[in-house]
Amino acid sequence: MNINRLPRGCTNVGGPLAASMDKCRTNFMELFSSFGYRPFWPSALQLLESAWPHLPEGYRQRLIALTTPYGEPSCLRADITLAAVAFLASHYAPEQQPLRLCYADRIFKRAEKHENRIENFQIGAELLGWEGEGADIEILWLLLRWLDEIGLDKSILVIGDVTFLNYALAHVGTAIAERLSRSLLEGNLSEYRNVLSTSDIPEYSRNILEHLPDLKGTKNVLEQASALLGSSQYLMPLRNIVKALSDLGYEKRIFVDLSLARELSYYSGPVFRIYASGTSGQEIGGGGRYDGLLNSYGLDGQAIGFAIDLEEAATLALPPSGSHRVMMWCSTLPPEQALKRAGTILSIGLNGEMSWNKNRNQSYESASSRNCEWWIDLGRETVTQIECGKVMPLSQWMREEYTC
Amino acid sequence: MLTLALPTGRVMKEAIDLFENIGLPTKELRNAGRKLVVQENNYRYILAKPSDVPLYVSHGVADLALIGSDVLQESAIDLVELADTGRGKCRIVVAGPERMVPAFAGHPSELMWTKVATKYPRIADDHFSSLGVQVEIIHLHGSIELAPALGMADCILDIVQTGNTLQANKLVILQEVRDVSLRLVASKQSASLKWPQIAALLKKIENLKGVVGNAN
Repeated sequence: MNINRLPRGCTNVGGPLAASMDKCRTNFMELFSSFGYRPFWPSALQLLESAWPHLPEGYRQRLIALTTPYGEPSCLRADITLAAVAFLASHYAPEQQPLRLCYADRIFKRAEKHENRIENFQIGAELLGWEGEGADIEILWLLLRWLDEIGLDKSILVIGDVTFLNYALAHVGTAIAERLSRSLLEGNLSEYRNVLSTSDIPEYSRNILEHLPDLKGTKNVLEQASALLGSSQYLMPLRNIVKALSDLGYEKRIFVDLSLARELSYYSGPVFRIYASGTSGQEIGGGGRYDGLLNSYGLDGQAIGFAIDLEEAATLALPPSGSHRVMMWCSTLPPEQALKRAGTILSIGLNGEMSWNKNRNQSYESASSRNCEWWIDLGRETVTQIECGKVMPLSQWMREEYTC
Repeated sequence: MLTLALPTGRVMKEAIDLFENIGLPTKELRNAGRKLVVQENNYRYILAKPSDVPLYVSHGVADLALIGSDVLQESAIDLVELADTGRGKCRIVVAGPERMVPAFAGHPSELMWTKVATKYPRIADDHFSSLGVQVEIIHLHGSIELAPALGMADCILDIVQTGNTLQANKLVILQEVRDVSLRLVASKQSASLKWPQIAALLKKIENLKGVVGNAN
C-alpha cells in the first residue's frame, strides 16, 4: 500500500476528531464574534526582523526559520498574538481601541525535545488597548463559557499574577532573582528551594518567597498573600477577577496559584492555565496580560489574550460518534428532487448524508455500518430507526422526533 | 486518591523504602510480584520501566513519581521537580580506556569527533556542547562498557555507582558530568490542583532528609 507520508512533526486530521475540532472551532468563533471579537487570519510567515525583537527567549528558541522565494529571512508563525498586536498597531487609530480579535489557525514551532510535533492547531482571542477594568474578566468569562459549551464544564482555570512574583523579587539581587524565576518557570522547585537556602536575600523578600510555592488553593490564598505583602494593592487585579468570575458562577472552577510563572519578560499581570479535569497532566492552553508587548509597538493600554490547543480540546470534547446521523436514500428519485427533499429534512438541524446506491438493501446496510441512527427512504417518504427496525412516515417522524 | 509511579530496577527498593519512611502504605507494594498496578488505601502505585515513568506523569496517569535525575534530564519532559530525595545516588561520568586520559586532560579541541557510546544521548550532547566540542554520539541501550573494548567508541558516558563495572572493563573515569539522585516529580496539573496532598508528602520527605543529613 502506498502511504502518503508527511514531513516529520506534521499531521493530517480526519474522522471524528476533525469533526470535533470543527465543531469546537465554529462554536468558539461564533461565541467570541457575538461579543465583538473580529476573526483574524494572520499570515503563516513572519519576517524574522519583525518577530525577533518582540518574542521572549523561550519562543525565539523554537522559531522555524526559512528564507522566502523573495529572499527575505522569515519564520513560520509561532505565535498569533504577535501578529494580532502588529495588526492593531498598523491598521487602527488609537481612538478605535480596544480591538478584539479571535482566531483559529495553525502555529509552527520547533519540536520540544520530548515530542515531535512542529505544527499545532490553536484557537485564541486577544483584547487589546483597553485602559480600564473589565477586559480580563470579559475574556476569561467568555473562555469559561466556551469550555462549558463544548462539554468541558469541569475544566479548571488556574490563575496567578506575575506582579506578585516580580514584587517579591524586587529587592533580591539580579542574578539570584533570575535563578529563582527561572527555576519556577522550569518547574524545578528543588532548585528553587536550593537557591533560597544558599542565597543572601533580605528577610522580607525571603519570607514571601519561602511561602510562594504554598500559595495555591481557593480565593483565601489571596488573603494569605496580602498578609505576607502587608498590602492588598498588588493583588487587586487578581482579586477582582476571582470575585467577578465567582459571582458569574465559576467559583468552583477557579484555582489560585501564585507560584504560576510564565515568561516574566512577556507577561505583566494576571496569568492563567486551563486544565481539563481528570485527563492529561498538561494544560490545554493558557494566557495572560502582556501590556509590555503592546508598549513595544508604541501602543498604550492593556492587552490580554489566550491560546488553546484545539486538537487537545476537541479530543476531550469528542462527542459520541454517529449521534443523530441520518442516511437519506434517493430511491428512484432524480438527484435534484432527492436533494430538495433532503435539504428540507436537514433544515431542522440534523446531520446526514445522501445514499445514491440503487440497491435498497445495500443502502440500508451501509447506513447501519456507518452507525447512522436513522435511514430515510426519500421516495416513499418513510423513516426506519436502524437499531430496532421500526418504520414510520417521514412527516410523523419529523413531527414527533424533532419538534423544536 | 494519589497515584504514584515508581521505577522498576535499580532504585525500586530505595523508592519503596522512602515511601514507607514517609508513612505511605507499602505492604502490597513490596509483594507486588508481577503486578504493575498496586492499590493500598488511598494510594495507587504504578510500577514502570524507568524511562517510561516521566511519560506516565506528563500524561496525567500518575500524579507523582520518583525518578532518577538521569532519566528525568534525558527525557526532557516538562514536569515539576518537587524535591531531591537525596537517595539513589550515583554519578554520570565519561569513562574510557587509559589511552584517552591525555586527550581529556588537554585542550577541548582534542576531543573533536570523539566517538561516545551512551544510553543518554541528550545528556551527552548537552555535556559536550557545553565544552564547545562536537562529538559523535553512539546511542546504545545496554552493555555500554563493551563499546570501547570492541572498537565501536572511544569512550562512554554512563552512570557509575561503585566503579566496579568500569574497572572490570578496564575503563577509567575521564570526566565527571553530573550527580544523580532520586527526584520526586509531579505533573503541572497535579502540582497545582493537588498541592495540599503533595505538600504534606513533600514536608515529610524534607524532614526525612534533615534526619538523614543530621545522622551523617
